[in-house]
Amino acid sequence: MKNLLKARWMSSLIFLVVLFIITGIVDPSFFKYSSIIGCFNNATMYTLLAIGIAFVIMTGEIDVSIGATLGLTAAMTGLIAQQDGSVVTMIAVCIGVGALVGLVNGLGVALFGVPSLIFTLGTNGIIRGLIFLVSDGRTVENFNGTIGAYGNKVLFAEITLFYTIAIALVAIAHIVLTKTRKGKYFIAVGDNAGGANLVGINVKSTKLLAYVLCGMFAGLGGFVFASKYGQVMTVAGNGYEMTAIAACVLGGISLSGGLGNMIGAAIGAVIMASISRLLVFIGLPPTYDNTITGIMLIVIVVVDALAQRRSIEMSRRKRLLSRTATSATEGGLEA
Amino acid sequence: MNEPLNKASGLTVRGIKKSFGINVVLKGIDLQVPQGSVVALIGGNGAGKSTLVKIIMGIYQADEGEIYMGEKLLKLGKPSASLAEGIYLVPQEPLLFPNMTVLENILMGFNEKEADLKKRLEKHMEGLGFNLNLQRKANTLSIAEQQLVEILRGLMREAKVLILDEPTSALTFSEVQSLFKVVQDLKQKGISMIYITHRLNEVFEIATNVAIMKDGLITLEGPVENFTKEMLIRGLLPDDAEMRDDGSGNYKAIQYEGVEPVLKVRNLCGYGFADISFDLYPGEILGIAGVVGAGRTELISTIFGRDKTLNGTVELDGKDITGYSTKQVLQEGINFVPEDRHYHGLFKIRSISSNTTSALLGSKEIGRIDMNRRRQKEISQKYVDDFRTKIVSLDDLIGSLSGGNQQKVVIARSLSTQPKVVILDEPTRGIDAAARADVYNIIRQLKEAGVAVLMVSSDIEEVVELADRAITVFQGRINGEFQHDEITQDVLTSASFGIKNEKAVEQ
Repeated sequence: MKNLLKARWMSSLIFLVVLFIITGIVDPSFFKYSSIIGCFNNATMYTLLAIGIAFVIMTGEIDVSIGATLGLTAAMTGLIAQQDGSVVTMIAVCIGVGALVGLVNGLGVALFGVPSLIFTLGTNGIIRGLIFLVSDGRTVENFNGTIGAYGNKVLFAEITLFYTIAIALVAIAHIVLTKTRKGKYFIAVGDNAGGANLVGINVKSTKLLAYVLCGMFAGLGGFVFASKYGQVMTVAGNGYEMTAIAACVLGGISLSGGLGNMIGAAIGAVIMASISRLLVFIGLPPTYDNTITGIMLIVIVVVDALAQRRSIEMSRRKRLLSRTATSATEGGLEA
Repeated sequence: MNEPLNKASGLTVRGIKKSFGINVVLKGIDLQVPQGSVVALIGGNGAGKSTLVKIIMGIYQADEGEIYMGEKLLKLGKPSASLAEGIYLVPQEPLLFPNMTVLENILMGFNEKEADLKKRLEKHMEGLGFNLNLQRKANTLSIAEQQLVEILRGLMREAKVLILDEPTSALTFSEVQSLFKVVQDLKQKGISMIYITHRLNEVFEIATNVAIMKDGLITLEGPVENFTKEMLIRGLLPDDAEMRDDGSGNYKAIQYEGVEPVLKVRNLCGYGFADISFDLYPGEILGIAGVVGAGRTELISTIFGRDKTLNGTVELDGKDITGYSTKQVLQEGINFVPEDRHYHGLFKIRSISSNTTSALLGSKEIGRIDMNRRRQKEISQKYVDDFRTKIVSLDDLIGSLSGGNQQKVVIARSLSTQPKVVILDEPTRGIDAAARADVYNIIRQLKEAGVAVLMVSSDIEEVVELADRAITVFQGRINGEFQHDEITQDVLTSASFGIKNEKAVEQ
C-alpha cells in the first residue's frame, strides 16, 4: 500500500481526479457516469499510442513518426474495407506496416546512431508522403459498414470494446515490462546504457525492439481510427505524437529514459483525451487544445529535467567531496 | 617474456594490440592472472590500463592477440561473452541503474527464477558480511556501497576473474579497509583479480603480483615480494628519463624578489579539492602535476568560475575575485585553454579567423553589429605567423587542421584578450611531437611576454621541461611544492602517486 502511494503514476491519477472535480464544480452536469466513462472511451487511440511510445521513451529515445504511422495504417484500413477485405486482413496489415516503420526507425537510431528526433522526423515526412500516394491525395471514405460497427461497440457498462482491449494491452505491457527478464531490459537500457552493456544486455537490439513495438501499437491505433471515424483524411493523426508523448510524461515516464511504467502512460492518455472535453465543459473553445497540451508538455519536461540535473550534480559533488575527505583521514604516506 | 606461458589455470592474455585511429594504445600486452591471485596493474595516465581491461571485458575489441581461460582460447568481443566466461569488470565509476533498487540492479540480466537468485545472493552477502538493504534505490547509495553492489553482481555470475578499476579512488579510509577485507576473502575463495590502482602502498597491502604498464606495454611483472616501492616508481618513469634534456640548459632564472604575485590562492576549497594555496607570479610557468582524478581539473575550473567555491579566496592583482562567474573572471584577465579542445574549446564548423577572434565577440575590438572582417583577419594572421600555425587560408574550417594546429588556434584565442593569467589544461594532449615543440615555444613566449601561466599536465616530462615552479596535487590537496632546480621526474612522479620522497630515487 505504501509503495502504491509512492508510485510515480499516483500523482498522475490524483491530477486526473482533480481535473474531473474542477470541471464538475464549473459545470455540475459533468458529474454523470456517461460523461466520465466517455473520457476513458475517448482515450483509446491515445492509450495505444502511449503504450507504444512508452517502450521507446523508456529506452531514452523518442519517436515522432507515430502520428503519421497511425494516419497511414488508418488509410490502408479504409482502402481494404472498400475492397470488402476482412477485419483480420486489416489488423494484420496495420500491425505489419507499423512493425515495418518501427524496424526502419530502429535501424536508423540503434544501428546507425542517428539522433532519434531527427531520424523519426524524417520517417514522419516519408510516411506522410505515402499517405498521399495510397489515398491519391483524397479522403478515404465510404467504406463498408463492417468495421464501423466495431468502432463504437459497447462491451459492458458503456465501456467500448476497443477501450477494453486497450486496457488489456496496458496490463500485458505492464507485466512484460516489470516481470519478464527481456521486459526489464527496456528500462535498464534507458536507465544506464553503459551499465546495461556491461551486464550483457544488447542495447542496440533492445532499442530496435522498442521501435518495432511502438510502430505496431501505432498501427493498431490506425485501425481504431478508421473504424471509429469511418473516414480518413490525408492529415489523419497529425499531432498525435505530441499528445502521446505528453501522455507518457504526464504519467510519470521520464523523457531521459529508465523511469516510469505503463499504468502511468494509460492514465496520461486519459488526461490528454479528457482535456479537450473538459475545456468544452469549462467553456473554453477546443481551439486552445494544442496550446494547452504544448504548455503542459513543456512545464512537466522542464521540471523533470531540472530535478534530474540537480540530482546528477548533487551526486557528482558528493563524490568529489568524498575524495578530499579520504586524504584527510589517510594523510601522506612515507616512502 | 621468452619463457613459455603456463596456461594451466587463471586468465592469460597474449599479444594484445589495440589502436584507436592512428593512436596506438596497446602494443602487445602479455599478462598472466593465476587463479586466486591479485594482480596489481599500475601505470601512469594514458598507459592503456583501462583499454586493456575493457578488451578483456569485451567492451572493446582487440586488433590482435589472444585471451585464454586456463587452456581454453576465449572468443571475446562483447560483454555477454566475457560474462559467460566468468569475467566481471567493476568499472571505476560504478555503472548501476540509478532508478532501480539494489536487488533489481544485481539481478538484471539473469535467466533464472528470482527466488533462487535471491537465495544465492543472500548467501554471498552473508559470506562476505555485507549488510545492504536490497530495496534501496541505487541512486541513494554511496560510492563504496555502489562498488559492493558491483562486486556482488560479479559474484552472482560466478565470476572467476574480477577486474577492479581503481576501486579506492572515491572511497574513504574505512571504506578502503572493508574493501580490502572483501578482496582478501575473494582471493581465499580462489577468485583471481586484476586490480588497477594509482596508490602504490595498496599494491603491497593486497596484491600478490604486480605488473607495470607504460606506453601500451607491460614493462615489469612479477610477484609482489620481488619489488620495493622505489623499484615501482623507477618502473613508472619514462625509459629515457636520464637522457632527456630537462630544459635547464636554456633556462632563464626568474627574479622573484620584489615581484608581487599576480594570482594569490589561499585555502581554496571546492568540489574535488581542499585547502589549496599557491602564488603565481607574472612571467612564470607554474606546473600542477598529479594523476587523473587528483582534483586538478576541478581546481582550475573553480578558479575559472565554472563551479562553486566552498571556502578560501582567490586574488588577482590584489582584487578579490573569489566566486566570480566565468564571464567576470575573463574580464578580470584570466583566460583558460581547456583540456578537451573539441568539447569546450572549438567552434568546429567556423573558420580559423572566426575561432581566433571569438573571445573578442563581446568587446568593441571587432565591431558590435557589422563585424570588422579585416580586423578579424589581421588579428588572426598575426597569431598564425607568431605561432607558425600551418594553414592554407584563414577562411578554412578549423576542423580541417591537425590537433597541434587546432591547439595553437585555441591558445591564440585566449591570448587575443591580452590576459594577465593563462590557465592551460593538458596543453599537448593528443598532439604529435613536432607540434608539441611549437606549443612549448608558444608557452615560453607567453612567459617572456610577462603572462603568468598556470599549467596542469599529467605529462610529467612536460612539467619538467617547462615549469619554473611546480606543485603536485594528491587526492585533492597539495602534497608537494618544488622550485625549479628541485623539479625532476622522480620527485614529481613520487609525489603524484602520493609518496613523500624528498630525495631522488637512486638510479
